[in-house]
Amino acid sequence: MQKNQLSASYWKWVPAAFALAGIILFVFATFGPPASSSGFVAALKGAIEPLAPGYVESKAHYRMSAGPGAWVFAFVLGMAIGGFLAARTFSIPVRDIPEIWEKRFGNSRIKRYAATFAGGFIILFASRLAGGCTLGLFISGSTQLAVSGLYFGVLIFAFAMLTARFVYGKAGKEEK
Amino acid sequence: MSTQIWLGLLSGIAFGFVIQRAGATNADKMARAHLMIEADIPRFMLLAVVLSAIGLVGLQASGVGRTLIIPTSLAATGIAGVLFGIGWGLCGYCPGTTWAAAGEGRMDAIFALLGGLAGTAVFAQVHEILIPLLHAPTNMGQITLADWFGSPTIAAAVLVVVFGVSIWGIGVLWEKNGHGAVR
Repeated sequence: MQKNQLSASYWKWVPAAFALAGIILFVFATFGPPASSSGFVAALKGAIEPLAPGYVESKAHYRMSAGPGAWVFAFVLGMAIGGFLAARTFSIPVRDIPEIWEKRFGNSRIKRYAATFAGGFIILFASRLAGGCTLGLFISGSTQLAVSGLYFGVLIFAFAMLTARFVYGKAGKEEK
Repeated sequence: MSTQIWLGLLSGIAFGFVIQRAGATNADKMARAHLMIEADIPRFMLLAVVLSAIGLVGLQASGVGRTLIIPTSLAATGIAGVLFGIGWGLCGYCPGTTWAAAGEGRMDAIFALLGGLAGTAVFAQVHEILIPLLHAPTNMGQITLADWFGSPTIAAAVLVVVFGVSIWGIGVLWEKNGHGAVR
């Protein structure tokens, strides 16, 4: 019982990093550089192609992307399953609105969902412009010593930190 | 083909499970990382890169696996990095974590995922305008630190040292700013 409770809380960052690096290397060995923003393109391509095959054929971004029956989409689908399994075996219940957000903006679901929709829009638009995201460009790229991944990494951390300060303002300071 | 699908699914399940356990799918913990209150997620990410980079040197020495360097475009990669940071700071999710957090059952992550699909669709629509405008003119090609330092081994060592110092620095600065990384 005691052991169960221990395994169902957050892992310490060092063993968690070893576990993640093991998976990343498994992916490099069996597929290539891991990526997740390309899973969005594959999902959309699969959704749009049956409805408008001419449109998909006319757009370079869909032409260069894998369809839903390939590794990239299986990977993001797997991530959702992994998240599901992890949450079902976890001690801390999931929330629809993060605590820090609720302290700053109240418990309006509409406000929070509008913000995450906008945030999701921006990060995917940006990822497709750069050619990758936190995983596909920063982590995969830096692992391969790519300048693109390191350049992107410095900027995303710097601007996320600035934005969080702006978004959470005083609520962020009181958190300490 | 079907082997690739099973490999992708298996890798994704393991990846999603681990990032949930590390706290990376929890937007509250991500915001606290960005606000310099909790150091665990950035240290987790950077240490994973260090360990993967060392492991990849080994994989390549034994001729296993496939690499692919994404080109550096001064303008496109830079603008994308700034925009991405703003979106990440706003919602606390990145493209990978939205899938795992949506799988957990977080409603706000499902909206981030839907927003992500919309952002992807809009980019795919304007790809033919933005890539020639922003990406191509300042594209420096598939450059790596190995090109700069002349040797992959030295370059990997530089990366390990710089990331190692960053991990240590994050521990010190975040600790000083917040009241400790672990509460």
